[in-house]
Amino acid sequence: MKLVCVGLNHETAPIEVREKFALTEQGLDRETRALLEAEDVGEGVVLSTCNRTEYYAVLNGKGDVKTLEEWICTQRAFSGSLEGLFYYYEARAAAEHLCRVASGMNSMVLGETEIFGQVKKAYQRSLERGATKIVLNKLFQRAFGVGKKVRTQTGIQEGATSVAGASVELAEKVFGRLNGSTVMVIGAGEMSRQTAQALQSRGASSVIVTNRSFDRAVDLAGEIGGTAVPFDGWEEELEHVDVVIAATGAPHFVVKPRHIEAVRRKRKFRPLIMVDIAVPRDIDPRVGEIEEVYLYDIDTLQEMADQARKRREKQLLLCEDIIREEIDKASLPAVNE
Amino acid sequence: MGIGWLVIATLLASAGGVFGWLSIRKGDPGRAAFVWMLGAFAAQLMALGWRGALRGQCPLNDVGEICLFLAWSMTFFYLVTGTTYRLSLLGTFTVPLVIVLQVIALVPGAFDESPVRAEAVDAWREFHAAFSVLSYGALALAAVAGFMFLVLNHRLKSHHFKGGLVHGMPSVHRLVTAMGRITLVGWLVLTIGVVSGMKMEGAGMDGHLLVATATWVLYAVLLGIYFVRGLPGRQLAWGVLILFVVSLLVFAKL
Repeated sequence: MKLVCVGLNHETAPIEVREKFALTEQGLDRETRALLEAEDVGEGVVLSTCNRTEYYAVLNGKGDVKTLEEWICTQRAFSGSLEGLFYYYEARAAAEHLCRVASGMNSMVLGETEIFGQVKKAYQRSLERGATKIVLNKLFQRAFGVGKKVRTQTGIQEGATSVAGASVELAEKVFGRLNGSTVMVIGAGEMSRQTAQALQSRGASSVIVTNRSFDRAVDLAGEIGGTAVPFDGWEEELEHVDVVIAATGAPHFVVKPRHIEAVRRKRKFRPLIMVDIAVPRDIDPRVGEIEEVYLYDIDTLQEMADQARKRREKQLLLCEDIIREEIDKASLPAVNE
Repeated sequence: MGIGWLVIATLLASAGGVFGWLSIRKGDPGRAAFVWMLGAFAAQLMALGWRGALRGQCPLNDVGEICLFLAWSMTFFYLVTGTTYRLSLLGTFTVPLVIVLQVIALVPGAFDESPVRAEAVDAWREFHAAFSVLSYGALALAAVAGFMFLVLNHRLKSHHFKGGLVHGMPSVHRLVTAMGRITLVGWLVLTIGVVSGMKMEGAGMDGHLLVATATWVLYAVLLGIYFVRGLPGRQLAWGVLILFVVSLLVFAKL
């Protein structure tokens, strides 16, 4: 009885290859069933996310990682070069790898939380189809416990590592909870959408979208559940908003001090956070001199994200220690017996 | 035990300060200061009980008693509002002031060693003294919140996010709200103090009551502007800080 893991991810395979191995929900069902029917496979879990496809299996008889790799390539009808494409782990190394994955230590964005749910879902699918038994059941349960411990006892998920996340973090530093806050998006590009959605995910209840091309404002507003306003009407809306995200392609300042000065009294001098993610900048830096305005540009946000990434990287050794300790403590068949 | 209670209160508050700062450095202010301040509050009560028993009236007659009462009042409002607004970090900023007041009270001579026991008590005078000092506890706490706001505001405006201080601080919104509400509570308590002062036996508009009334009016103007017209957080913070420090200095001069 041998525990193995064979997989590929964003570090070993380019997106063109990852696409070939990625599986849809239905595909995962079929793959799990097929894996269980494969020769020498006793148990199996297939994990497929946008950045990784991994097979965890318990092999009996003569089966090994190479036979599993061949089986996977046959399943996916892949005939390209396998050089450096797959990584393989056996026994304890496979268990430790699963714990790293569940903890977000192996993710493209270090410490991201989504992977934990994805691993859980993959395990649940196999469990429901009878594809897991004592080895993988114990292993995955342990990995979930380790994942939680790593996230609560280290700083692996602290701080925002993206521009959108950094914007949210700053908005929360000013407003606390974002519940009930209103966001205005000036410019209807991808960064605007990401930042607005990040704020919505933390409770922002109302989003106003404005853009020189009104059609694009309507499209984005429709997509994120906001309200579109014509570009010549955004100044009147300033009175009601708490956060302004500016990301237009304008070659000059769109928001100037006089726009804010005009609504300060009406706003009763409430704090206003302004996020300028455009290059060239959309918001005149003098706007930041107004007392209740907190203005941040793309460089500040990028720096915040970089610092958070570095802080997370420093936590990796601590995370590894936790994983080692937890695997040592556990009594996992095919791992440390 | 007598003055020993005050020593214990000072030690507990100091421990609260140390543990509070250590928590901030770790980026998690938590409730470290809160628990220690709760202990300090109990010890302050015992110390006040000791002075009250000696005086046979509200213990607000010498420098030691006024400092002790003010320290107790600040701790009281911190314990009440600190948890309500989840401003546990406020404790860490409050502790130094509480310690300074208690250390002044511990200086030999601050407490009258043989206080005269009161034979008759003027209830209005007692109310005036107690509520006035109690209000200063709240107003001091508002000033501490104002100071915290200025620190946070400076960091956020100048993009200095490093260190646990910014991470552990309450939000700008929460601090501004706390400043406004704590000042309002302090002003309401001061109102009782001023009105009681006017009803004291033989009360006239002496310098003491004049300053108290002027302070009451200035705080009323500040609160009026803040609640009716609105005020940027920085101006409110400077307002509560300056009013507190200046009025305290004027009272000390009298």
